[in-house]
Amino acid sequence: MAKTIAIVEDDPAIRANYADALRRQGYEVLAYDSRPAAMAAFALRLPDLALIDIGLGDEPEGGFELCRSLRALSARLPILFLTARDSDFDIVSGLRLGADDYLTKDISLPHLLARIAALFRRLDALTGSPPPEEVTERGDLRLDAGRFSVSWKGQPVDLTLTEFWMVHTLARHPGHVKEREQLMRDAQLVVDEGTITSHIKRIRKKFLAVDAAFDRIDTLYGMGYRWKADGA
Amino acid sequence: MLRVSLRTKLALVSLVLLVLPWAGYRYVSEIERFLLESQRQSLLATAKAVATALHERPRLMRLSTPLRATTPAPSPPSHEATGEAAAAPVETAVPIPVHSDRLAEAAPLHPEKELASLLQGAERGDARFWVVNRDLKVLAVVGSLKPAADEEAAPGRRWLAWLIQPPPQDFDDKFDKAAQASRPEVTEALFGAGAARVRKTRDGRATVIAAAQPIWAADNVVGAVVAEQTTNSILSVRNVAIERLLILTLTVFAAVALVLLGFATRLSSRIRRLRDEAEGAIDAQGRISRLTAGSRAGDEIGDLSRSFSKVLTRLGQHHSYLESLASRLSHELRTPVAVVRSSLENLRMQGVSQEAAVYVDRAEEGLGRLSRILSRMAEATRLETSLATQERERYDLTAVVRDCVEGYRLAYPRQAFDLRLPVAPAFVRGSPDLAAQMLDKLVSNAVDFSVEGAAVTVEIAPEESYQRLSVSNRGPALPEAMAGKLFEAMISMRPASAGGEPHLGLGLYVARLIAEFHGGRIEAANLADGGGVEMRVMLPVAGVSSASAPIAFGKERA
Repeated sequence: MAKTIAIVEDDPAIRANYADALRRQGYEVLAYDSRPAAMAAFALRLPDLALIDIGLGDEPEGGFELCRSLRALSARLPILFLTARDSDFDIVSGLRLGADDYLTKDISLPHLLARIAALFRRLDALTGSPPPEEVTERGDLRLDAGRFSVSWKGQPVDLTLTEFWMVHTLARHPGHVKEREQLMRDAQLVVDEGTITSHIKRIRKKFLAVDAAFDRIDTLYGMGYRWKADGA
Repeated sequence: MLRVSLRTKLALVSLVLLVLPWAGYRYVSEIERFLLESQRQSLLATAKAVATALHERPRLMRLSTPLRATTPAPSPPSHEATGEAAAAPVETAVPIPVHSDRLAEAAPLHPEKELASLLQGAERGDARFWVVNRDLKVLAVVGSLKPAADEEAAPGRRWLAWLIQPPPQDFDDKFDKAAQASRPEVTEALFGAGAARVRKTRDGRATVIAAAQPIWAADNVVGAVVAEQTTNSILSVRNVAIERLLILTLTVFAAVALVLLGFATRLSSRIRRLRDEAEGAIDAQGRISRLTAGSRAGDEIGDLSRSFSKVLTRLGQHHSYLESLASRLSHELRTPVAVVRSSLENLRMQGVSQEAAVYVDRAEEGLGRLSRILSRMAEATRLETSLATQERERYDLTAVVRDCVEGYRLAYPRQAFDLRLPVAPAFVRGSPDLAAQMLDKLVSNAVDFSVEGAAVTVEIAPEESYQRLSVSNRGPALPEAMAGKLFEAMISMRPASAGGEPHLGLGLYVARLIAEFHGGRIEAANLADGGGVEMRVMLPVAGVSSASAPIAFGKERA
């Protein structure tokens, strides 16, 4: 059965373009242009994934509102923000409301499709049907690229997909400096250099929440970041 | 320009109050005129009264010759007459020697004596009465123009003497019979009409009012009574009045001037406070604050303060509108860019022909450039918002710069870098990530303007209280007109580039924001030989003491 993806986006051209691209990938797409229309539909039937813009028509924060309502309906439903707003404040607000990832509209369609596929894989991993394990272990760090799960010293670290890809890129070759551009490319990110800094900060904070002594992510000013190898 | 303070102006205006003594003086002069007139009238009346007493007594108007009349003139009791005559220096004008034997016989009928005693009755302290007959012979003179006892002027008032002439005390009041008797008022009186004249004493020092009244006998004028008095009493009254007036008005003037001065001082200090605050309302970082001075006052200064605040608020709104314009523009443009991008990608996914793919490639390339422009436009604003919540920490600037320059050597393989670092670490307070971002901007700027083959110099030099981080390159000098504007948003001195990286003039603005976040400043200058440009960032040294307090560490807020 084809997965159902709901797009809530007030711009008709973008809505149609994304819908076409997703349909071409075999997804079933439901497109809505406002929060009330989307909520009315979700009340009847929940999609398998929701792609939400923040500003919806005359509701500048309609997407946040919708995300909160959806999270109330289902704790597991993957929610992606896809928006033109890229301030740190918006990103943090979106992720706090329970969104699985926060993408800006600069993202290319192939990247978007890859993200959606990855989210579905993570969902499948949680619901049982075990996907092939692609585990990378670096000392205390355990990365599962199949389930998109991360654990540090045996404890799970709750990273978004974006953050997962960044950690994955860094940790694959410990000690190697990853330039920002490289990080962005590998992580399938389309973010500005400025936002990379805040992504790294958030990742550090999440690891620090699990282990107060965490210091593996090194900043090399002017160059990029690296994952410190064990004992380094 | 001549600067006259409000206070001085008000003080000058208060000089107008000096018109008060002048007006008072005019008033006193009026009163003086009035008094003189009334003195004249009263002298006339006195002379008339005396004349009335001498009416119908032609006998008295003769010189002391044997009397034919039998009716004795009523006379005051002799002892009184003699007593008074002894007390007052009665100058009996007796041109012809008195026959003492006859005098003794007809004493009560002696005309001069009787006249004198009659005149005694009318005498006042400072008046002189005399009687003249038709032959212009002075028959009797009583009294003196000078007051009996000389009043000494109060010593305290001497200071006023130069301003107010005290009435003269030592004027010449010698009685010259011939001259006096021929005075016009006497002549007029002898013609039957009372008259008064004002004249000076012979030495011209005092003014005398002389009033003459005819003495009638039946229908004939038989003589005239003249009453003379100086105006000294009026003068002293006037002087006292002027003196009081002066003291009063000067006191009032001083009091009013003081009050005005105090008021002006308060007013100008309020205005000064307002001015100082208005000047400081826009700080070095361009932040606009409201005015507090006088904002609650109910007067015009309050109005001024409030309307200034209003203007500042508007300015602030306009300012933030301009600041957010770039980011709002980039935000607004993102959606149409996304439409174009997703359309192109859909097109490519559908599969396009070889020829069409060339155009899709070009469109995507243009789109990429557009996206970069947009994200740069938003960079400054994003930085500003993140600075507001960024925490400051103490770190070694040399370590950051060393790492960065290593990175630049990789990033700009064709560019040589000359790194000069001090041996000691250079501790500053701020954010190392941001410092690296600032250095990125400065170095990319320097590399762009550097001439081929010359090294870009990055140097940290400790100065007295700050660390000087400078990035210099050989290349064209800065144009004069750009001085000071280089670090403002949307200012670029680059020639419009065709196809290359877009330049919005935000790079150095970002550098400035970061330098200010560190509590420092940034400036650009031409190298001494004019063959290049140096960008200097002055960052205050972070004291060891603050680093040794780990609790405060990282808790500081921007």
